[in-house]
Amino acid sequence: MATTTPTMNRPMNLGASAADHLDRVDALAKVTGAAKYGRDRYLPGSLFAALIRCPWGSAELLSDNAAEVGKLAGVVEIKISRREGTYHGRDVGYVLADSVVALKRAMNALKLEWKRREVKTRIEDTVKEPPAINEDAKKVLDAAAKKLSAVYSTPVQTHSSLETHGCVVDHRGDSATVYASTQGTFAFRDGLDEALKLKGSDFEIVCEYVGGGFGSKLGGPGKEGLNAARISAARGKPVYLFVNREEEHLDTGNRPSSMTFAELAFENDGTITGGQILTFGGVGVARGGGGCDVPSGRYNFGDLRRAHTDVSFNAGGPRAMRAPGKPQGAFAEELMLDEVALACNVDPLELRMRLARSGNHKEMMKAGAKLIGWANRIPTGTQTGTIRRGMGVGLCSWGLFPARAEGEVVIYRDGSVEARTGTQDIGTGQRTIMGVVAAEAVGINPDEVRCSIGSSKLPVGPGSGGSVTAPNTAPPMRAAALDAKNKLLTIIAKELNVEASALEIVKGEVLRGGQRVMSFKDACQRITGDSITGRSDAAKVDTSGKGHSDGVQFVELSVDTETGVIHLHNVVALQSCGRVLARKTAESQIIGGVIQGLSYALFEQRVLDRVTGAMVNANLESYKILGPKDMPHITPVLWSKGQTKVCSLGEPPVIPTAGAVACAVLNAIGAPVRSLPITPAKVLAALAGVGGKKNEDGGAR
Amino acid sequence: MNSFTYVRARNQAEALSSLKDAKFSLPVFKGGGLDLVDHMKEGLIAPDALIDVRGVRGEGDLAGNGPDAVEMKGEVIRFPAAMTLAQAANSAVLRKFAPVVAMTAGSAATPAVRNVATVAGNLLQRPRCWYYRNSQFNCLKKGGSTCFAVEGENAYHAIFSTGSSPGPCHIVHPSNLAPALMVCDAVVHTVGNADRKEIPIGKLFHGPEKGVTSEHTLEAGELITHITMKARPVSGFYAIKEKQSFDWPLVFACVAIEMAGERIGKAEVVAGAVAPVPWALPAVAAALKGVDPKDERALTEACALAGKGAKPMRDNGYKVGLLSVAVKRAVMKAAGVAIAGEEGR
Repeated sequence: MATTTPTMNRPMNLGASAADHLDRVDALAKVTGAAKYGRDRYLPGSLFAALIRCPWGSAELLSDNAAEVGKLAGVVEIKISRREGTYHGRDVGYVLADSVVALKRAMNALKLEWKRREVKTRIEDTVKEPPAINEDAKKVLDAAAKKLSAVYSTPVQTHSSLETHGCVVDHRGDSATVYASTQGTFAFRDGLDEALKLKGSDFEIVCEYVGGGFGSKLGGPGKEGLNAARISAARGKPVYLFVNREEEHLDTGNRPSSMTFAELAFENDGTITGGQILTFGGVGVARGGGGCDVPSGRYNFGDLRRAHTDVSFNAGGPRAMRAPGKPQGAFAEELMLDEVALACNVDPLELRMRLARSGNHKEMMKAGAKLIGWANRIPTGTQTGTIRRGMGVGLCSWGLFPARAEGEVVIYRDGSVEARTGTQDIGTGQRTIMGVVAAEAVGINPDEVRCSIGSSKLPVGPGSGGSVTAPNTAPPMRAAALDAKNKLLTIIAKELNVEASALEIVKGEVLRGGQRVMSFKDACQRITGDSITGRSDAAKVDTSGKGHSDGVQFVELSVDTETGVIHLHNVVALQSCGRVLARKTAESQIIGGVIQGLSYALFEQRVLDRVTGAMVNANLESYKILGPKDMPHITPVLWSKGQTKVCSLGEPPVIPTAGAVACAVLNAIGAPVRSLPITPAKVLAALAGVGGKKNEDGGAR
Repeated sequence: MNSFTYVRARNQAEALSSLKDAKFSLPVFKGGGLDLVDHMKEGLIAPDALIDVRGVRGEGDLAGNGPDAVEMKGEVIRFPAAMTLAQAANSAVLRKFAPVVAMTAGSAATPAVRNVATVAGNLLQRPRCWYYRNSQFNCLKKGGSTCFAVEGENAYHAIFSTGSSPGPCHIVHPSNLAPALMVCDAVVHTVGNADRKEIPIGKLFHGPEKGVTSEHTLEAGELITHITMKARPVSGFYAIKEKQSFDWPLVFACVAIEMAGERIGKAEVVAGAVAPVPWALPAVAAALKGVDPKDERALTEACALAGKGAKPMRDNGYKVGLLSVAVKRAVMKAAGVAIAGEEGR
């Protein structure tokens, strides 16, 4: 399904990849519904399960009518295994029924009498006072020309995967098939053997299509998978267990909330000399996992005292979410820098050019400044009209991490080619780029390769986390394709009585010394068996070496100072990702990251009722997500200067966006909004405070 | 959701008799069905019969015929109860003679919702309060004894009250069409109640102090058939929303004016999302008299009265100032005065 129309608004990316005009190969299947997700698997004779959950932040279950509801038609089993919950959504048991209707009827009929207990719902319930300033930091602050004392906060962001968590387990006694919504095919397998009472080789995890995960579907089968597996194993019937939208918000992880207490010392020119940054992560009932990565290491912050503490309260705990800990920290860090720049009357981009540690970032900042039109930026605090424009900038970085991956490429006698990897596609374009890699190495067009992915019976691949998938699966897939090609050319070489190395395959033709020998299809007919299989040899695949995924994002917006409403206009997102495999899916990764970051900046937040601890907006109506009319124009710029490897791309683009938005708001209205999401109410409050409190030494407060 | 019987009423008599059918224990009328199905899914109500009234034809045709379901005879505009919001938004008659209604209808929810949602459904939908909408909160509206918003999360709740003191329930009325119809002096026409056939739109709603489990004054079995109203060719609407796609306004205002030369001769102002009922602002309307809508300073001064008497809760004080802005911009919309930042949007 290749198109010939380039994406007109980003000519800089043309030629970025070998498959510039290739659309996502499964786009049509996904938009027509032909693609079968785990949720779509309704097997004959299936049982349906739902988890019973605590409706309050903390409560004790006094009584239930489970025995009565268990007698309803179609209800197979009701099990209540706990009689208390310490967060809204905590599972305490399950209901099993022989149809969706019977299951819902039973869930509605279930009357549970809960006794509510007192709750904590926020970091502030524990951290009531700003923490003390360390003695060493005090010395640096006392010696400073200027100071910034500020508190930054971010809310809990839920993953809101379109396909909720769950799976269908079909246990058949000595084998099983599990249709899972997972971003870790093999982690899911490795976590299920005990529950299924089977060896990993006796069952298959199938996740051909996955409707999003953002990190929340990384950690194995989870309670959905384990419950479904145990029940299916015990009853010998397929079990369907997918959570609903409300449960998805409550109990499938989130990006934890954060608070950052910053005490910064700086020179009159904005050079930061140090101070203290203490951060807190709001991790719900978890004990840890609440990172807030500030300072990020991208800027020089001088002699800094730094500590992080996770704070527990009555709410669902975090899970990895697209660049865990990074957007929280970047929001505080970027806004802090703009506040320092404002206090010193320095252009914030110029300050970043001085404080940034990486030459890459500096080059990207220069290029991005031209694209966004930074020269037209109006100095902060000088606008007086109702509508005020603002520009902001933020940085990101990401490393390259190793992961175990293998690949197989099968060339069939009829000329068809199959690329095989067990790893899954959570929307990143994995299926598309595996085909591109295999096709390029074999010497044929990408649309002539069929990709088989998302099965634990296929060659092992990593979970989609840490942005490791493409960098670690592309090299073995390439190695496998080269191996298959060499095996094929060896057959032809024998027939022609030449060395295999004298032959090559270019655009579907076998060439010798640049001259056509035969077509690829004709060559395939020489295969004596049904097919030949090229394999990657893990020992020989080089996934080592350095690779950075630096990025810079610019945001241009306007603020309506009467209503506090922010209108996003433009985002320029420069992102290095090494070698680009398919332009459109790479651009889509960046655009998706930016959208998620904008949504985090302006709208998203889990709202817990402070009295009962219940989440009051566990839906997609009042849990607000960026919509079409809120979208700015986004220009993703693929930056591969000085890199040849396939590098990380999934996570970094979500990191700098919210910080850049906050800086643009400060630029527009002259006052910082230090708390996400930046709602009209907060903008108006910040505006009302302009010209009010100032620091003794002139610094921003 | 529970199982139910679906009845498609072909005429008014069928609709009314189905509602009284003894074999149903909780029959309800269904228009577009959006809010109704939401309630059923959340388990807030479990009706055993849904009587679909969109297909009611003949005398008192509920859905209206032809490309424009809106009729105009002399000064009176008439449209059927089951007209969709999309029909209202696109009606040539409303756009010309009552732009406030067309604008309001066109700004609600999403195109998909507007294609199904009906005018009467918009008026009679239940509040969006998240305590009301979540089944585990047994709030006042559900027969409980507590309004959870008082101590809880009240950023989107009411800043005005209908009774002598705030509450007891702090919802904002959810209909955005109701304030628009109020500035057009609309009359709601009903069947099913022998004592009355017409209700001025302002009397269709009541505050929580007059009964907290419902927001309207219709009786069981009373069905809205159509609405009549006056032409208000100089009228406008302005909503302030956090999100521009699919969001409920933080505050909004509907305004109808009559010009006397360059100045406002007469005004009617009704606000939404600030009180448990559509909230008339007669003091602002009076202050607008004599103001030149192009004179933003004078306009701002008159509209500053909008928040007078507000008693905000812990987290919704921002609405007080926003309301004045919404009223001002609604006047500007009505008078065709450009609003800053709206060029090219």
